[in-house]
Amino acid sequence: MSEIHPQSVHMDIPATTMDRRSFLRAGLGGAMFLGTVSVTAGLSGCATAPAGRDYPMPEAMDRSYEFRFLTRDDIVLFEALLPAMVGPGLSGEPVVRRQQVQATIERIDAGIHQFGPANQKELRGLFDLLNFGLTRVTVARVWSSWENASTETAHAFLERWRTSGIGLFNNGYIALTKVSNVAFYGHEDHWHLSGYPGPPAFAVDALPQFKNNA
Amino acid sequence: MSLTDRIARGLEAGWKVTDGARLTQNQTHEADVVIIGTGAGGGTTAEILARAGLSVILVEEGRLYYQKDFKMNELDAYASLYQEGMSRVTSDGAIAILQGRCVGGSTTVNWTSSFRTPEPTLNHWASRFGLDGLSPEAMRPWFDGREQRHNIEPWRTNPNVNNDILRQGCEALGWSWEVIPRNVKGCWNLGYCGVGCPTNAKQGALTTTIPGALDNNAHLFHGLRADRLVMKQDRIDHLQASAMAADGVSPSGITVELKAKHFVVAASAIGSPGLLLRSDIPDPHDRIGKRTFLHPVNATVAEMPDTVDPYYGAPQSIYSDEFNFSRGVDGPAGFKLEVPPLHPAMSAGVVPGHGQQQLNDLSKLPRMNSVIALLRDGFHPDSAGGTVSLRDDGSPVLDYPVTDYIWQGVKDAFYKMAEIQFAAGARKVRLMHLDSPWYSSWADARAGIDNLAMKPHRVRLFTAHQMGGCGMGGNPEESVVNGFGEHHHVANLSIHDASIFPTSIGANPQLSVYALAARNSTRLAQKLSS
Repeated sequence: MSEIHPQSVHMDIPATTMDRRSFLRAGLGGAMFLGTVSVTAGLSGCATAPAGRDYPMPEAMDRSYEFRFLTRDDIVLFEALLPAMVGPGLSGEPVVRRQQVQATIERIDAGIHQFGPANQKELRGLFDLLNFGLTRVTVARVWSSWENASTETAHAFLERWRTSGIGLFNNGYIALTKVSNVAFYGHEDHWHLSGYPGPPAFAVDALPQFKNNA
Repeated sequence: MSLTDRIARGLEAGWKVTDGARLTQNQTHEADVVIIGTGAGGGTTAEILARAGLSVILVEEGRLYYQKDFKMNELDAYASLYQEGMSRVTSDGAIAILQGRCVGGSTTVNWTSSFRTPEPTLNHWASRFGLDGLSPEAMRPWFDGREQRHNIEPWRTNPNVNNDILRQGCEALGWSWEVIPRNVKGCWNLGYCGVGCPTNAKQGALTTTIPGALDNNAHLFHGLRADRLVMKQDRIDHLQASAMAADGVSPSGITVELKAKHFVVAASAIGSPGLLLRSDIPDPHDRIGKRTFLHPVNATVAEMPDTVDPYYGAPQSIYSDEFNFSRGVDGPAGFKLEVPPLHPAMSAGVVPGHGQQQLNDLSKLPRMNSVIALLRDGFHPDSAGGTVSLRDDGSPVLDYPVTDYIWQGVKDAFYKMAEIQFAAGARKVRLMHLDSPWYSSWADARAGIDNLAMKPHRVRLFTAHQMGGCGMGGNPEESVVNGFGEHHHVANLSIHDASIFPTSIGANPQLSVYALAARNSTRLAQKLSS
C-alpha cells in the first residue's frame, strides 16, 4: 500500500492560542483565518506567484526548470527544511549537495503540479502559514526567517509537529516529509541509499519500450 | 511471453480513440450508450454492449497510457496514473487514497489480486439489503465467466520472499493462509504491477475489455472529464464534458456534449457519487454519496535476517483470512492479511520519518517485509462508512470518520501482523504509527501496542479499495440503485462500478466489479436491443 505524495493539510489554526481546545473550537473561523493568511501574506510582500525560472538560489547553475507551483519563498522554505529531512543522505561535496537539493525541490514542484487544484490549495495554505512571519513565529514557533534557519532549527520544528498532540500539526508533518522523502529517495540518483538496485536489467534489455529512448 | 501490444496495434488499425487534449473545437456526439469511466466496471460494460451491436461511447478523465509508457518508474507512474498525482486523501487527511486515473482505471495499477465476493458478504447483502438475486449460487456463473475473461487463477509460481514471510508466519502460528488468484497471462514475475504492467501480462481492463469494445466499434474519449448529466424531464438527455489539456490536470476550455439513449456511470466510489451530485440527479432520500467504504488499511514493517528484495516478484501471492469472518459477518471488525510490494518512493512515503532515522529505516529496504490488514467496513452499525460531497469547485471529496469500532480492528490487526512477522523470524518490527519504535521481540511489540494511541494521523492509514456511495438495495429509501445497478428514479441511468456495493467486500474488489458489471450489462444489452 503506498501513500506517496503529501496529505492534504487542513490548517484551521488560530493565530496565537496554542492549546488544544481552541483548535477543536476553531472550525469555520479557523478556515477563514487561513484564507486571511494567504491574503495577508501577499499584501506583506510574501511571494505568491509560481517562481517560474526566477530561482532565489544564488548558486543555482542550471535554471532550465520552470517552477509551476512553488513560489520563491516556498523554495527558500524547502532549502531550509531539506537538510533536516534528507541531509544525512546528501553528498558531502558542496557543489553536488547544492545540485541534489535543487533537483529535489524541482521534483517536489513537478509532483505538486500533478496533485490538481484541491490539494494544491491545501498546500498553498500550509506553505503560506510557514512563510508568513507572524504565523511562522506563533504557529510553527520558528523565530528566524527560513533563509537564516539552521538545520537544528528545522529539525526541532519537524520534531515539534511530529510529536504534537494536535492532529493538524501531525498532518502538516506528514505532508512536508512525504513530498520531500518521495522526491528524494524515490529518484534514481538516490536509490543506492535504500539499496534498491532498480528494475531488473534482463527485463529492461528485453522490453520494447526501453529500446529507443532508454 | 506477450510482447504484442494490443493498444498499439489497434490504434494503427483505426480504432476510434480521441484524445481530449487534441480537440480544438466544441462538439457533439451521439451513441446508444455513453459509459463514464473505463475501469473494471466501465470496460466490462463497454465490451458486452458493443458486442451486442450497440453503439458505445466511453469517457475517461485520465489519459491513455499503455506498454510504451510503462517503464517501471515510480515517480512518473504515480504522477500520471493515479488520482490527484497519488496525493488523494480523505477530507481530514487521515487516510491516503490510492486510486487509478487512466484508461483501465485502477485495474491498470492494481496488484492483480482477484477474489470472488466472499459468500458471507453475498449472504449478508441478501438478508440485510434485499439482494436475494446476488446469492453465491446465482453469481457463480458470472464469476466463472469473468475468471475466464481475465485469465484469473491461483499463482502457480513460488511466492516471493515478502509474501512467503506471511505464509511462514501463519504456518508457525497455526493460522490459515492461501494462494492468491491473479489476473495475469504469461507474467514475468517482475513486481511492477503498481506502475503499469510493463509486459502486458496483466489482464486488466486495458488489455482485455477495452480492446474488446474498441474492436467492436466503441469510441473512446480519454482526457475528457464528465462534468454533468443533463436531465430533460425525467430522463438524462446528454452528458456535458470538458476536455483536459495534455498535462491531464487543467481543462483546455473545449467542451463536448454526448447524447445517448442510456447512460452508464462507472466512475468509482468517489467519482460516481460526485458526478450524480453535480448533476442534481433525483435523490429524494438523500442517499447519494452515503455509506462509502474503504477497507481501511494499516501496516507493519519488519527487518528480516536475510534478503527479501520486496520490490521484485509478483507483489501479492499469499493471503490469510484467519481473522476476516471468524468473529461473524457483523461482529468486531474482521480483516484480510496481505503484503504490499515495497519500492523506494512508496516506502519513503509510507514509512513516516525524517533525518538520520529515516535514512536508517529506508536503508533496510532489501531486508524489509511489510504486512497489511484490510479492514472489512460496513457490516456493523458502528461502521457506517464515509460521505462523498462536493467541494466549491465541484470536485468530490470523501469524509470518512474512523470510528472506535474501526480503531479496535486496527489495533487487533497490529497485534496479529507483528506476531506473524516475529513468528517468521523478524529481527525487528515497526508499526506504521508516528510513535512506534522498532520492537525487537513479540513481547515488546505486544506491550507497545497495548499503549499506543489509536488516533488519526498518528496511525498511518491507507486505502486502495473504494466502494459504496451509490449503494444497491431493494428499498429505494436506503439505496440509489436496484440489484441490477438500475437507478431507482431515472429510467435511463445505470451504475456499474464498486460504488453500488452496499458494504465493503472483505476482499480485493476487482473481480466483484467485473462479475456484477457483466451480469448487469448482459441484462442491459437485452433491454436496449429489444
